[in-house]
Amino acid sequence: MDAQYKVIDPVKFYRDHLAHKIRPDGRGLLKFRPAVINVDSIGTADGSAIVKIGNTTVVCGVKLELGVPKPEESNIGWLVPNVTLPPLCSPRFHPGPPSDEAQVASNMLAEILSNASVLDLRALCVVPERLAWAVYLDAVCLNHDGSILDACVVAAVAALRTVRLPRVEHDADKDITKVFPDERSSLPITGAPIPTTHAIFEDEVILVDPTSDEESLASGLVTITVQNDQMCSVYKPGGSPLADENMQACLSRARTRAIQMNNLIEAALAARDKEETKDQKLIS
Amino acid sequence: MDLISDQGLRLDGRRPNELRKIRCKLGVFNQPDGSAYLEQGNTKVLAAVYGPHEIRGSRTKALHDQALINCQYSMATFSTGERKRRPRGDRKSIEMSIHLRQALQAVIKTELYARSQIDIFVEVLQADGGNYCTCVNAATLALIDAGIPITEYMVACTASLANGETPLVDISHLEETSGGPNLTVAAMPMSGQIVLLEMSQRFHLDHLDKVMKHALRGCQEIKAVLDKAVRDHVASAGAACNWEFKTD
Repeated sequence: MDAQYKVIDPVKFYRDHLAHKIRPDGRGLLKFRPAVINVDSIGTADGSAIVKIGNTTVVCGVKLELGVPKPEESNIGWLVPNVTLPPLCSPRFHPGPPSDEAQVASNMLAEILSNASVLDLRALCVVPERLAWAVYLDAVCLNHDGSILDACVVAAVAALRTVRLPRVEHDADKDITKVFPDERSSLPITGAPIPTTHAIFEDEVILVDPTSDEESLASGLVTITVQNDQMCSVYKPGGSPLADENMQACLSRARTRAIQMNNLIEAALAARDKEETKDQKLIS
Repeated sequence: MDLISDQGLRLDGRRPNELRKIRCKLGVFNQPDGSAYLEQGNTKVLAAVYGPHEIRGSRTKALHDQALINCQYSMATFSTGERKRRPRGDRKSIEMSIHLRQALQAVIKTELYARSQIDIFVEVLQADGGNYCTCVNAATLALIDAGIPITEYMVACTASLANGETPLVDISHLEETSGGPNLTVAAMPMSGQIVLLEMSQRFHLDHLDKVMKHALRGCQEIKAVLDKAVRDHVASAGAACNWEFKTD
């Protein structure tokens, strides 16, 4: 009965719920969905993380490759983020070239990571003018249930934290490169930007952490990225106008969320480290 | 490289007729109509099914008496040892998609959904040999989760021959690339019928029977694991709605 009502008139369905200050999934208007992070689960990747925010699931894998730096940027490597929204994650996406939403998400991810100075590219340089690391960061959405950017950025940051660069020796005269896969060091990650998405419903009501249905009915969306208690990016692609005090309220919620997410990432990494020392103890 | 040690163990410590550890879960995501996650050893695959729904794109593709099955096989760029530049659309992926469709079309009761389309999307998150088999098995589970009627389980398994005499079942990536023959079989285990058979390399015809038997027995064992997972999933879903679930 509920399901038919939702299909026939989704706007009224939502309006009736919001009149009682509740959402169809039982959350309050300003309640976040629970988040789960798992790191280092993909063995073939050089670093990986899986993030689940409610039902939205994103897996981010990192692959490292060596390359020759460009002459005009001879002492930096590359960080190449990419977001894939395959047709399996939502009925809205069809097989073919990347959709607009995927391209926008890729761009936003790249911008947020560079704005927040998450990785100093100079640390990726092995030998200036000759050899540098390229870090390919691929975020694949497995289930799209709203707030995709939140999950992608958190997965990207967590995956980067798990990456271990192998030691590289380059003989310039003989042009021989030797990689030591067993001697690894972590990447110097200096940032942890955490985005929070809000949806504006019918120009008035603000919903935090919208699901896919809520995003499709929303009259506006705004994503605020916070790092170290500072705002580092705001993304508001048109939609309903947002009053200043509402924007301030969104920002303060984003700051609280950033602290919670950072704690979650640290806990996931700590659990992984504990597993590793346990494994090493078993081997030795 | 010796595929079998003196004690009769393979490179990963298994016996020649031992399958890799299978872990699976149905109904993992809420957007697709049916979804399943399957791990066979280190090969991790996710399958999602959408449908049956109206034909997308050109209406001319619609079949008047059966459903159109559309499969897409995709490998994540980080799923292989070397970064995969083209996750889908390259020749191998298209070939895999076609083989997937051919195998699943044999079991799906397409005559029940004329002029409709069923999409099956498979994403390989980590590839460690037997990718096609894990995809077929995951797709079967996803179809069951979606409630699409199938005549029986479609299960696939690989087999190989070590040292020219010992058959190996469920080969890993290392064993695949060591140069021995690779036999991939997709079969309906209950009726014992083979739907898809693929082989690479060569070995003497005398050994074919042995290797095929091992592969088919592997299919039977995998089917038992998948069947248990399906029954557990239905029992737990049913328990929430207070059904009575009896097994004979």
